[in-house]
Amino acid sequence: MKKILEAVWILLVIFTIFAFLLGKLELVSSVMVAVLLLSTFIKAQLVIDYFMGLKNVQNKYRFIPTLWLVVVISLIAIAYY
Amino acid sequence: MSKSLKIKELYPPGDFGIWIVIYVELLTFGLFFIGYAFSRKYNLEMFNTSQLTLDTQSGFVNTLILVTSSYFVVKAVTSIKNMSENNLAQASQTASKWLIAAMIFGGAFLVNKVLEFSTIFGEGITLSTNKFYMFYLLLTMFHFMHVLLGTIVLFNLYSKTKLHGYTPTDCRGLESGASYWHMVDLLWIVLFPLVYIIR
Repeated sequence: MKKILEAVWILLVIFTIFAFLLGKLELVSSVMVAVLLLSTFIKAQLVIDYFMGLKNVQNKYRFIPTLWLVVVISLIAIAYY
Repeated sequence: MSKSLKIKELYPPGDFGIWIVIYVELLTFGLFFIGYAFSRKYNLEMFNTSQLTLDTQSGFVNTLILVTSSYFVVKAVTSIKNMSENNLAQASQTASKWLIAAMIFGGAFLVNKVLEFSTIFGEGITLSTNKFYMFYLLLTMFHFMHVLLGTIVLFNLYSKTKLHGYTPTDCRGLESGASYWHMVDLLWIVLFPLVYIIR
């Protein structure tokens, strides 16, 4: 369990650095926005599953924030493209 | 086989009420995020030009601060959940140290954000400057207030943890506060790329 939490934190940091570099190096293109949104989805799902602890709870409680995430990220993508 | 038979908890960690709060907050912020995305679609040039004035580095640092602080909080909860009767004092001490670290990071987020706001306001920018700044200020200030409240909650959790107030079977208050703090982190994880990066 300990190692999982550390791994999640490292992934969150890596995805954050990736997002920052995209902006800083002005690499934001249509393709990269798709990658950025996917990485944002993964980051948020990691927080929901491992930090909020919903991975080990009945699916309906995990389903609500995951559905929220899918709807919000999808609509951001629709608005962008 | 043991994996597939693993029994899941009936309820999420913490009090049920906090999850109602969390779901409502997610819905509210979600509407703001979608509103921002579609307003941007119809005011593309103005959004892209205004976004250039934001301090991306500050947003990046604040994201690192929040995800790390969230990690500290989950470590505090894990310390309490894994404690045994013989190490109650030690586990509480460890958890309280994680909570202090989380609180300091929460404070650092607030200081960094105040500096960012002071720069923005110093340039004469207000809610009515344009639609981008209206969304930027509403979203980030609303989120700021959540971080402020979360930091106060962390302080209360720390005070009780230091007094050995939580045990593995009686830590719903700690779990509720932790869940709230993770929600604050979750919201920022979506806010940062949306407002600071995507253009």
